[in-house]
Amino acid sequence: MGGTVAPEKILRELSDWWVSLGKKAPAEAEAGMLRACSMTLVVLAEESEDVDRLRETIAALMPAHPARVLMVRLRGAGERALSERVYAQCWMPFGQRRQICCEQIEITASDAALADLPPVVLPLAVPDFPVILWCRSARLWGMPEFRPIQAMAHKVVLDSAAFADPKAALPRMAEAVGRGVLLGDLSWTRLTRWREMLAQVFENRQHLALLPRVSRVRVEFGETFEALAWYMGAWVAGSLADAGVRAELSVTKGAGGASLRVTVSGEGIQVELARREDRLTIVVNSLSHCTNLPRPAEHLLLREELGIVRHDPVFERALASAARLAYPGEK
Amino acid sequence: MRQVARVRISRDPETGSDADAGPSPVLGNYPRRQEDGTCGTRRPPSPSPSTPHDMLDSMANENPFQDPLRFERRVPECAIVIFGAHGDLTSRKLMPALYRLAYDRRLSAGFAVIGISRTAMSDDQFRAKMQESVNQFSEDTTFDADVWKAFAGGLFYVAGDIGDAALYKRIGEKLAEIETARHTGGNVLFYLSTQPSQYARAAQGLGAAGLGKGNGWRRLIVEKPFGHDLASARELSDRLHEVFQESDVYRIDHYLGKETVQNILAFRFGNGIFEPLWNRRYVNHVQITGAESIGVEGRGAYYQETGALADMIQNHLLQVMATIAMEPSASFHANSVRDERSKLLRSIRAMTPEEVRQNAVAGQYGPARIGGEDVPGFRQEKGVDPQSQANTYAVVALSVDNWRWAGVPFYLRTGKRLPKRVTEIAIQFNPAPLAIFEDEDGPGSAPNLLIVRIQPEEGISLKFLSKRPGAGMTLRPVSMDFNYGTSFGERSPSAYETLLLDAIIGDPTLYTRQDMVEASWAVVEPIQNVWRETKFDFPNYAAGTWGPAAADDLLARRGHAWRKP
Repeated sequence: MGGTVAPEKILRELSDWWVSLGKKAPAEAEAGMLRACSMTLVVLAEESEDVDRLRETIAALMPAHPARVLMVRLRGAGERALSERVYAQCWMPFGQRRQICCEQIEITASDAALADLPPVVLPLAVPDFPVILWCRSARLWGMPEFRPIQAMAHKVVLDSAAFADPKAALPRMAEAVGRGVLLGDLSWTRLTRWREMLAQVFENRQHLALLPRVSRVRVEFGETFEALAWYMGAWVAGSLADAGVRAELSVTKGAGGASLRVTVSGEGIQVELARREDRLTIVVNSLSHCTNLPRPAEHLLLREELGIVRHDPVFERALASAARLAYPGEK
Repeated sequence: MRQVARVRISRDPETGSDADAGPSPVLGNYPRRQEDGTCGTRRPPSPSPSTPHDMLDSMANENPFQDPLRFERRVPECAIVIFGAHGDLTSRKLMPALYRLAYDRRLSAGFAVIGISRTAMSDDQFRAKMQESVNQFSEDTTFDADVWKAFAGGLFYVAGDIGDAALYKRIGEKLAEIETARHTGGNVLFYLSTQPSQYARAAQGLGAAGLGKGNGWRRLIVEKPFGHDLASARELSDRLHEVFQESDVYRIDHYLGKETVQNILAFRFGNGIFEPLWNRRYVNHVQITGAESIGVEGRGAYYQETGALADMIQNHLLQVMATIAMEPSASFHANSVRDERSKLLRSIRAMTPEEVRQNAVAGQYGPARIGGEDVPGFRQEKGVDPQSQANTYAVVALSVDNWRWAGVPFYLRTGKRLPKRVTEIAIQFNPAPLAIFEDEDGPGSAPNLLIVRIQPEEGISLKFLSKRPGAGMTLRPVSMDFNYGTSFGERSPSAYETLLLDAIIGDPTLYTRQDMVEASWAVVEPIQNVWRETKFDFPNYAAGTWGPAAADDLLARRGHAWRKP
């Protein structure tokens, strides 16, 4: 049976819902609830995904980026059908009396109905705030129907690590960026703290003075970190090139599923960053340092990406370079 | 399967262009990154440095790995020397803040702390004591044994007397050792967390031992009070300046490190809609409250000498007032912002003795029964003279002599043993020019208020009138709230985390400059002088109340009333 979704009806339901929440709220001036919104977040996920887990991730994201969330669940094959339900995500901050609430709309769409999505999503977007598209479906990203959906968004967030072939995703993403798409990749986001720690090493003037002596960069990765490794190699190599430094780069697959080790070395300097459980060990010549580096939860990665709704030249350059590094023979 | 990609990168160091740009299929045609993270052409290289130090300096800003869009601020390597390492402030605030910075990866790998106090202790004993402090006083921070182990490896201890020249020799030796072993680059931040009477001696000791200068930068953090009057504040600055330049002296006022106080700047100068209202035409008056529900908590002897006026108004509340009332600065550079704060403080009219009697009220709490418990009065507190004339409560009505604020009273109120702990700024706007809703005394006449809450629930509220639903035109006040913590939901760094990191980075924006301290004393000293000569009939308010009746009268005479937060 085919179904339709009327944006006006959804907006009316949202409005009714706020009124009913307001009526339930205690009369005291300081209690009640606070409506918060800073963007429209459109989440595209396969229906087979664990929806409860996804809702938890979105809930964890809301305090930092309160948003009207449109969760689109992709049903796959089937007749042209859309359906929706509206609900709220509220939380009571610790030690306070006022609830914070955000709106959530869940839409289910068959592949055949994907073309009907933009006319539904556009009127539901909160005026004057950015629309961010978080595409969790590698399948959808490869479909022609994705382009008009993508065109609605100010920024598209993907996770190349979730793709069947992360390495193959890099040139496709680079191509999208080349077309002017504002893109974020959670695989790159996973590297932020790593990159920051490497940068921190060279904040030390003595270490920075040794930078021209760097001649080798080694990135060794476990299976799940392949995309990260290409990004890391491309970024380190590019940064060194900026400083006029000649370096030989190798990106190699090693043992261990979720391991990553980066070594920058040369005469008189040896810097190594390696992760063990939730610790990052940084060794600079004889000086060793350990710091807290938990594997970031998905909502933390997304939180960082949602905070950057503009072109990120460092990422875009690293992506282009990583794509070329991963496939050196191709244009 | 083993995948290997080998790439040789070659750049012309003079021009920054690819030496083999043409043939390189991998890294040719890079858009090069500038310092702000944008793409573009690389700047021409600086002239060749002539000495190794010049070379290091010229490279200091050339870290090619920086990514300002995503990374936190750049933190240089350094060592901190804490005088008073055995004291309360170090245990409760400084060490938990430093540990948290390490936990959040905000400190360099070789970061080191040298604790100084008279008590004899080994490095390991100092580490154990600091671990205890971190465990006990860290709020919302998980203790991580591995992170602590790495952090504690940089903790050292030197025992000695601040007046003893041998102490500074030992500090110098330890610093040299650390500089070599931990690559701190000779950067040292000295933190005076001792009795204020020791500040000048410590600075002099450092100077005499040649520790005021070194291979890297040298900075000095001083805790309040900065003198006890204008003359002593100047005297202290003079002594410090014999060793450290003013730009290297960081006078800490932890109020300015609070997120909400910083947010005042964002609120005022990041938005265009408030500034047009921010003046005498629309603002009726401003109330700044710094209330404590607790008493002097064992600090009776100190408080007896200092009093609420000097302890709170001279520094914290005047700095908050300066932030709320200052002119927009031309940029967010430290001196630009501090210049405007300083200008505002200098615009506050110093009162004559007669004006002091009209515009200031002193108070002292008496005993009371609160929540079924007997609470002592100030004079019954340990270490307090039973006839003490010290003020535990102070109210001043200040006038700002500039075009923006002429005629707008700023009421500053602080006290111990008030009904609740709250710090807030309430800006009351003028009423609508014509009251058309015939509700002159009812809730429909409530003024528009903009409230900036600094603690405990940091946020901003705007109170305005709205029609009550239903037939008839009845108005009621409603509140539109922005709650800082809940709207962003992230952990806010503590004031000490913010300020310590600022000092390490070399950003003095949130620190108090000598001219600001002097301008504050110029406001407070005339009040102090009159109060010193006055015999008060203390106690004049019961613990757990909002202060003496005279404070209410002070506002009532101007047609105003205190807000009860």
